Formats: sequence, structure tokens, C-alpha cells
Amino acid sequence: MRFTFIMAFVATAVGCGKTPPASFRLNMVQATKTAAPESGMEKPWSSWANDRQKQVATILEAMYGTPDAPVALAETGLDLAKLQLAAGPVRSDIVGRKNGLYREHCAHCHGISGDGMGPTAAFLNPYPRDYRPGKYKFKSTWRDARPARDDLTRVLHDGVPGSSMPSFALLPPAKVDALVEYVRYLSMRGETELALYTYAEQELGVDDTMPTTKEFLVDEILTPIVEKWQGAEEARIPIAAVPTTLDFTKPGDDPANHESVARGRALFHGDGGCVKCHGVTALGDGQANDYDDWNKVIVEWGKEVAGGLGASQDDAGRAAWLHAATDVIEGDALRPRPIPPRNLRLGLYRGGRRPIDLYRRLYTGINGAPMPGVGPSGPGGKGSVADAEIWHIVNYIRSLPYEFDGELGADRPMVAKDRL
Amino acid sequence: MTRLPPLSIAAVILATLFLGDIVAADEWGTIKGKFVFGGAPPSAGELKVDKDPEVCGKHKLLAEELVVGADKGIANVVVFVRDKDVKVNPEAAKAAAAKVTLDNKDCRFDPHVAFVQVGQDLVVKNSDTVGHNSNIATVKNPPSNNLIPAGGETAIKFTSDEAVPAQVTCNIHPWMKGWLVVRPNPYGAVSKADGTFEIKDVPVGEVELQFWHEKAGYLGEMTIGGKAEKASKGRKKVAVAAGGTDLGEILLAPAVFQK
Ligand code: HEC
Ligand code: HEC
Repeated sequence: MRFTFIMAFVATAVGCGKTPPASFRLNMVQATKTAAPESGMEKPWSSWANDRQKQVATILEAMYGTPDAPVALAETGLDLAKLQLAAGPVRSDIVGRKNGLYREHCAHCHGISGDGMGPTAAFLNPYPRDYRPGKYKFKSTWRDARPARDDLTRVLHDGVPGSSMPSFALLPPAKVDALVEYVRYLSMRGETELALYTYAEQELGVDDTMPTTKEFLVDEILTPIVEKWQGAEEARIPIAAVPTTLDFTKPGDDPANHESVARGRALFHGDGGCVKCHGVTALGDGQANDYDDWNKVIVEWGKEVAGGLGASQDDAGRAAWLHAATDVIEGDALRPRPIPPRNLRLGLYRGGRRPIDLYRRLYTGINGAPMPGVGPSGPGGKGSVADAEIWHIVNYIRSLPYEFDGELGADRPMVAKDRL
Repeated sequence: MTRLPPLSIAAVILATLFLGDIVAADEWGTIKGKFVFGGAPPSAGELKVDKDPEVCGKHKLLAEELVVGADKGIANVVVFVRDKDVKVNPEAAKAAAAKVTLDNKDCRFDPHVAFVQVGQDLVVKNSDTVGHNSNIATVKNPPSNNLIPAGGETAIKFTSDEAVPAQVTCNIHPWMKGWLVVRPNPYGAVSKADGTFEIKDVPVGEVELQFWHEKAGYLGEMTIGGKAEKASKGRKKVAVAAGGTDLGEILLAPAVFQK
């Protein structure tokens, strides 16, 4: 109550004639999903859930500030100056330097809160990345690890070809740097929020409030999140030496590469398991009805809620929760879209087309997407294809858009070469 | 349970005199019980096998989200001791040296719910003639998604426990679903086909159990020994006696699974 009062006062004091200050949106999917009622609750579910959401919002604001005035706790290692360059409305500072980069370049797709739900998002396929779970796809680190700074820089520089994510190669490095820092900030904030809901779901009783001690918020909740981000720079996957039997400077159908491409093809159809999803034709038509992790949450929870609504509900709390859940799924989430495996005959790669990019994609798979890795899942582990052999699959993949007759016969699909 | 020969009773008394409660705490008991479905056993639906039908289609796979036997025993209910600092019996601790296997077999996960301890080797293997991938959605441990070719295997170790069981899926065969319980000690069990479970060698005294089932989530309402009980977040304190503690029949109403 008091908190809202203060906020309202601040808004009227500074807000005369200006747009109201922007605010972060709570992760309503997770806030609601983790707040299933227990039977026989005394308080009505909605006011109980509301209280918990307010507690989380207050904590997050204390730890991360607002979209206009970011806070960088020392423990996060985030650089406040960079965040300030990226945050806030688009404006020029005293020396004419343009601020508010995130809202200028990114927010209409990725959303003010980094939830991937900006005003343009619903029209895009794939949807813009939701930074809040801290998951990224195109990176040089172990599958489960966070991206290193230069991974994000690279995504900003190159964009994500084949998706609507543009290249920001024209922005000066200092601005890209500020934006990378801001993406990391939004992720840490989103992960903190998620950790609070998970904690509440697993540990808090109906009548408990969220703890607000430093031990809890910093040591228990924040530190593990920050450690992951700081560990990313050292979490790179090893890169095996390129076998001498292949030559990436020559095309796949060059005799220098015949043996290697044949080996790659055998792995693609055999131990690599690639045909299961990408299809024997590699057109991406094998397993076309799966979802990535962001969409899967909505699909699975949607099923649970629909099932619950179908069954008879004599518990008032549960009925209220199910209806709130339906509203959230319809109003606070994008309609789930399946993620088809890539058509590998187009030669278009979202994570980059250099052999090293493809090597990384195959080694760890694509984090957050159904695509599994053929390398080990962590240091010292054992993969299903030996590291050096992955290069042959890369070589084969690169030959696919040009593969002429192959084993596909007369009804083979059109490949890039046909169009020349 | 087992009667001690007189000489060792004397030894225990002597030891108690000198060592006080250290020895008293070195008593262990087994917690057991049986989950029973409080209604007509539901029949499991057949799964839609639309990938690799020549291999997976042979098996007539059934949904495993709620498995109730003819005698109403409920399989795959997870029970574990929640207390973080619980003392671990040296014999029971030896279980961690063995490997736990999670097999991709007949296009399902075998076992459907696997129990593994922190630091223990989990071998994920593939006994089928088609490739599988095992997408393990752990929260505190790094999640993983490895491709496992026909006849292949991979090993994983966990460094942290998981508060709730982690789902395991195969993206190639979307009907395949399994669960992995990761605990910091040996004190957990998954109920067998007849609904019974047993947690051996728990220190005598009070422990807090947590009950979970994939379809029901935390088991908040159970009837234990004829008495209806509420268990917030599936937690319930039980007293472990030296002779063992038998919770008897734990009746779960069909409504618990209607979520
Ligand atoms: C026109 C919409 C659009 C704009 C504008 C946009 N993005 Fe994206 N962005 C996307 C889409 C779509 C994806 C997801 C691509 C995919 O999943 O293949 C994405 C993905 C990303 C990723 C994740 C890459 C990975 O490895 O997972 C990052 C980081 C990112 N964008 C940052 C930014 C930043 C920073 C800006 C502003 C400078 C920005 N984006 C502007 C649409 C956009
Ligand atoms: C379980 C299904 C599955 C399997 C098995 C699989 N993929 Fe994929 N693959 C996908 C999906 C889905 C995508 C799209 C992911 C995305 O856009 O985020 C993808 C994307 C790709 C890409 C595009 C990367 C980029 O940068 O755009 C390549 C290359 C690729 N897969 C190669 C392979 C190879 C080689 C194998 C075997 C070693 C394989 N895949 C196995 C599902 C799979």
C-alpha cells in the first residue's frame, strides 16, 4: 500500500506533461504457474496470489531498479554506466550522446522487460528471444552454460540470419557493448524473478511471506545466477583439430573432400541421429511438431490447465487459479509455435555459417531447442560422435545445398544449385 | 526387529554410558508403506506411436502417467526424506557406489522414474535399434540433451539435489516421458508396481517425508491408516522407530490425480 502510494506521488511530481515512467512487467506465466493453491486455503486465491506478486515486484525493484533507472548491485558485476546508456527512453545527454539504446533498437521486438513480447513480437516467427530464463542458442559455451560476452556481441553484429533479428553491425562498439550488458542485466533480473517463484513454490507455506534478508536474496538467490554468467567466459567447449582428410577451402564435391563428406553422410544417417528430425532428405521434415523450451512451457501448462477445467472442481481456490491461468495463457503469453528442424538444403544457418559455428551447433546441440548435441554434455564426458568426427558432419552439411543427385532419385527436392 | 544377543546388549549399554547419545542415534529403521488408489483402477490409454513405427510400433506402448495395478497399488509415487542434515547410515551410503541405469528400451524410459544420488553415476543408455535423445530438464543441475545412438550410452553425475523430480523426454519420440529423482542421500524410494515402497536404514527419530507423483504433483491429501491427512506441499513428519515404521495403506483419492 505504502509503496504504491510513494510511486504514485513520484509519478505526479516529475511526470507533468511527460510520458509516465516505464515499468517492468512481472512474468505472469511463472507467477501464476507456481502459485497453485493448496486445498482449504482461507484467503481467496486471487488476493493471496496478488500479495505474493507484490512481494516479488518490490524485491525486484530494490535489486534491479526500473527500466528508466536501473540498479546494478555490486554482486552482479554489472556495469551501471553501460546500463544507463542502454536504459530509459530515447534521449540525448548533456554532450549530445544518444541514450536509451535498448528502447530505440530492441524493445519493440524483445519487450521492455526482455520477455520477448514487444508489440511486434506476435507477428514474427520465430518469436524474439525471451531473455528471462537466461537461455541462449547461438554460443561457444557448453549447452547449459550462459553465453560469453563475445557470443552476444557476435549475435548483435551478425543478427540471426533467417529470422527477423537484424544485424547491428553499424552501431559503434561502445553502444553494442552497452546493449550486451543490458541483455545480461535483463536476463539476471528474469532469472532472479524465476528463482523467487520457484523458491516460493517449493519452500513457502500458504501463510509465509517471501524472505527479504540479504542472506536470502543475495547469497541464496542471486549468487548462483551471477556465478553462471561470470563462469561463461571459461565455459567454452573444446574445439578438436580439423582432420587432415578434409579441406574447408574447397567445395564439398571437390575430390579432396569426397572421403570426408561420405563419412559425414554416414554419421548423419547413422550414429548422429540427424535424419530423425531433419529427415532422410535433410529438408527438415522428420520431426516437425516439437516446441522449443519457451513455447513448450505454455503448451504443457496449457494442457494441464485445460485438463483441470475439464474435471469437476469443488475447491474454490483451485477454480480461481485455473481461470486466472487461462487468462494468463491467453493474455500474457504468445500463442505457441512449433519449431521445425532446419531445412539443411538452403544453406541458411541462424547461428552463423562458418565451419566453426556449425561445429559448435552440432557439439552441444541448440540450447533451448529440441536439437540434441553429439558431443559430451560437459567437460570430461563422452559424446555419441568423437569430437574430430564432428568436422566431417559439418563438411557434409555444407555440401548439402549443392549435393546434386545423391540417393534422392528423380523426385529429389530442388537444391540451391538448380536455381543457378 | 532382530534380537540382539545378550552380550551385545551389554556392550550397547556400556557404550551408551560412555558415549551418550552418539550411540543412541546410531539406530536405524525402515520406513515402508503401500499407495492404494481409492477408486476403480483407471485403464491406461494407448500412446500414439507415429515415429519409427517399424521399431516402436511393435510394443503397444501405454501411457504411464498414472499406473494402477489390478489390486489398486499405485506405481511410481516418489517418497523421500526432506531433512537436509539427516544422518546417513554407512551401509546405506554404499548404495551410491553402484551405477544407476536409465535405459531407452522398447521406445520408453526404463525405469519410468529413476532414483539417483548426488555424485552417483547415472548411465543413460539406448538398448533400442533406433537413435534416441535424452533431454533431462534438471533445474539446479545443468540440464542436458544428448543424442544416444542405437546401442550407445552416456554417463552423467549430478552435483546438487533437485527439489522436485526432473522430467526426461526424447524429442525424437515425443510420447517418451520419464522422471529422474536426484537426492543428496539414499533416503528415497519410488513405489513399485504393487504400490509398495521401502526406505531402509533411516536414523531413528523424527524425519520429514515428501510425497510426489507426476500427475498429482505434491500429494497434499492422503488417508493414512484410515485417517484423512493434509500434507502441505506433500510434506509429512513421521517418527522412525528402531523396529521400523510401517505407514500401512496410503489411500489416494482419484480426485488427487484429476489435475
Ligand atoms: C525485428 C525484431 C527484432 C529486433 C528489433 C531485435 N531482435 Fe533480437 N531477436 C529477434 C528474434 C526473432 C530472435 C530469435 C532468433 C531465433 O531464435 O532464431 C532474436 C534473438 C536475439 C538474441 C538471442 C540470440 C541467441 O543466441 O539465442 C539476442 C541476444 C538478441 N536478439 C538481442 C537483441 C538486441 C540487443 C536487440 C537490439 C539492439 C535486438 N535483439 C533487436 C528479433 C529482434
Ligand atoms: C530432436 C530433433 C533433432 C535432431 C536429432 C537433430 N536436429 Fe538439427 N535441428 C533441430 C531443430 C528443431 C533445429 C532448429 C533449432 C532452432 O532454430 O533453434 C535444428 C537446427 C539445425 C541446424 C541449423 C543451425 C543453425 O545455425 O541454423 C543444423 C546445421 C542442424 N540442425 C544439423 C543437425 C545435425 C547434423 C544433426 C545430427 C548430428 C541434427 N541436426 C540432429 C532438430 C534436430
